[in-house]
Amino acid sequence: MGNLLMEIEAQIAGARTAAARQNVGSIRELGDGVAKIEGLTDAMLNEMIDMGDGVTGLVLNLEETEVGVIILGDYTQLKEGDEARTTGKLLQVPVGKSLLGRVVNVLGQPLDGKGPIKSDITYPVEKIAPGIMRRRSVDQPVQTGIMAIDAMIPIGRGQRELIIGDRATGKTAICIDTIISQAELNKAAEVAGDSSYRPLYCIYVAIGQKQSSVARVIAVLEEAGAMPYTIIVSSAASDSAANQYLVPFAGAAMGEWFMDNGMDALIVYDDLSKHAVAYRQVSLVLKRPSGREAYPGDVFYLHSRLLERAARVGEKYGNGSLTALPIIETQAGDVSAYVPTNVISITDGQIYLETDLFYQGVRPAISVGLSVSRVGSAAQLKAMKQVAGQLKGELAQFRELAAFAQFGSDLDAKTQAQIDRGKRIMEIFKQTQYHPIPVEVQVAVIWAVQNGYVDRVPVPRVRAFQSTFMDFLATRHVELLATIKREHTLSDALKAELKTVADAFTQTWT
Amino acid sequence: MKINKRAKREAEQLFRLCLVNRGLDENRVRHVVQRVVAADRRDSPAILSHFWRLVKLDVARHTATIESVTVVPADVQAAIEAGLMRRYGPRVTTIFAYRPALIAGVRIQVGSDVYDGSVQARLTALQKSF
Repeated sequence: MGNLLMEIEAQIAGARTAAARQNVGSIRELGDGVAKIEGLTDAMLNEMIDMGDGVTGLVLNLEETEVGVIILGDYTQLKEGDEARTTGKLLQVPVGKSLLGRVVNVLGQPLDGKGPIKSDITYPVEKIAPGIMRRRSVDQPVQTGIMAIDAMIPIGRGQRELIIGDRATGKTAICIDTIISQAELNKAAEVAGDSSYRPLYCIYVAIGQKQSSVARVIAVLEEAGAMPYTIIVSSAASDSAANQYLVPFAGAAMGEWFMDNGMDALIVYDDLSKHAVAYRQVSLVLKRPSGREAYPGDVFYLHSRLLERAARVGEKYGNGSLTALPIIETQAGDVSAYVPTNVISITDGQIYLETDLFYQGVRPAISVGLSVSRVGSAAQLKAMKQVAGQLKGELAQFRELAAFAQFGSDLDAKTQAQIDRGKRIMEIFKQTQYHPIPVEVQVAVIWAVQNGYVDRVPVPRVRAFQSTFMDFLATRHVELLATIKREHTLSDALKAELKTVADAFTQTWT
Repeated sequence: MKINKRAKREAEQLFRLCLVNRGLDENRVRHVVQRVVAADRRDSPAILSHFWRLVKLDVARHTATIESVTVVPADVQAAIEAGLMRRYGPRVTTIFAYRPALIAGVRIQVGSDVYDGSVQARLTALQKSF
């Protein structure tokens, strides 16, 4: 025993304790979730600051004598003169597959009461977008399951497609439909054991949304069985502006993990108008100079650096992709406002939703004339290209002719036929919410329309015809649909088979 | 006190005038304060308030506060002072203070740099780790 005590004494005598250097400051000003801290001479931009009591801050302003910090969490316990310390860490969030099926906040902490998230990997919230050499062109499709989009405004994996429109025009519904479609495709591939299919995981980022809206989205996704492939990152309207400003970057970090690990992900930012408003609030409280509409000068850079993180990377870098679907809410259809024009110029195309179309019963209320996909056509399935190549032009022509036809003048037979065809195409593109259509069914239906099988159907009955035809294909001609899906192109033999099927259907349909 | 941009700018200019060889000249500081007070301008209090803050920060940057529970022996004091001079330059002035709350050990602060080897800091770190 005596030896043991001597050993311990010797070890204590030999033990040296080094005092680590810390960088501290004191809170000089505090308010609206923003603190001005004096000192902190070693602070880095976007570094996490330990404010004490478990509260974390994020450095956004580096000034000569102080730093501007946004506070993440409850700042009501903090007071002037309190000590704050640098941590040497940039703001990070947990990433990985363990987040799938979970609802998390801006720091990746669970909000769904399903217990802690088991993830050892973290990614910085702010990250430089992949460079030119890492990228490759978009050539794989994202099947949204919405016929109007897949046929006319195709989206590719790695693309950034803006969804823009007034309030209550179905912007979120398009994104939810897309997420449900991915879940169905992922599940189908899992069941079929199709290893060649690359599952597309989804991230829904709610920025400044009502809690009830987020709860509704979760309920819809759970009902559709899409949650196991989806992460929901939420910063609701009741959260601080700082959290709302950071949440899309946190979502992007989670998506980047999939991309960096050779997987595909899709991220929905709902919506970037509220994000710009949150950033404006943070900037004004930080006393940054304001510009147009009181937005700070770097509001363009705010969205460009976020959306540039969506990319398709080359095989050398994992061959993964991150597709972005940002949403912008316009006021009274004004797409020329500051934030909408910014985001339009950043993205690779936009899907414009019109209030008038919505109330006319055209749902999804996609304005074909104003919607465009700049890179998606390269990713469109060949079979879809074969049947829908002319569709956008025909619809645009129909709109023009329909406007003239309103004057009531006599029309020649060709013009009348174009108008009749246009009306039927418009009916075909009407689609029930949360019911995505598989691409092979879309191809068969559009082929039938293009080959005149719907021309004899009265316009009010076109949807009934379409629905029955889809059921007919799904129940009696599963093999034909499987062949279209497998071959990705309409060969002459497939066209002949489609003709036989369509002929048989039109004879029986009444 | 609300300090406008102009007052801040003027205070910064006055502060720069007080620097000699990148160090603050105390006589110049006193002179500047006397002149601004004598000028009796409307924004004098704002200018002096910001000027005071700049001086305070500069003084803090060049002052090392060494806190301990017991009186530090003269040879240890000399060693600490020499170490601080090596690290922060010859302009650093040292102040030794008595702080029983530390329980044991030494805490040194120079500007915003803190070297905390006190028992209190370790207990706080331990508490945080739970």
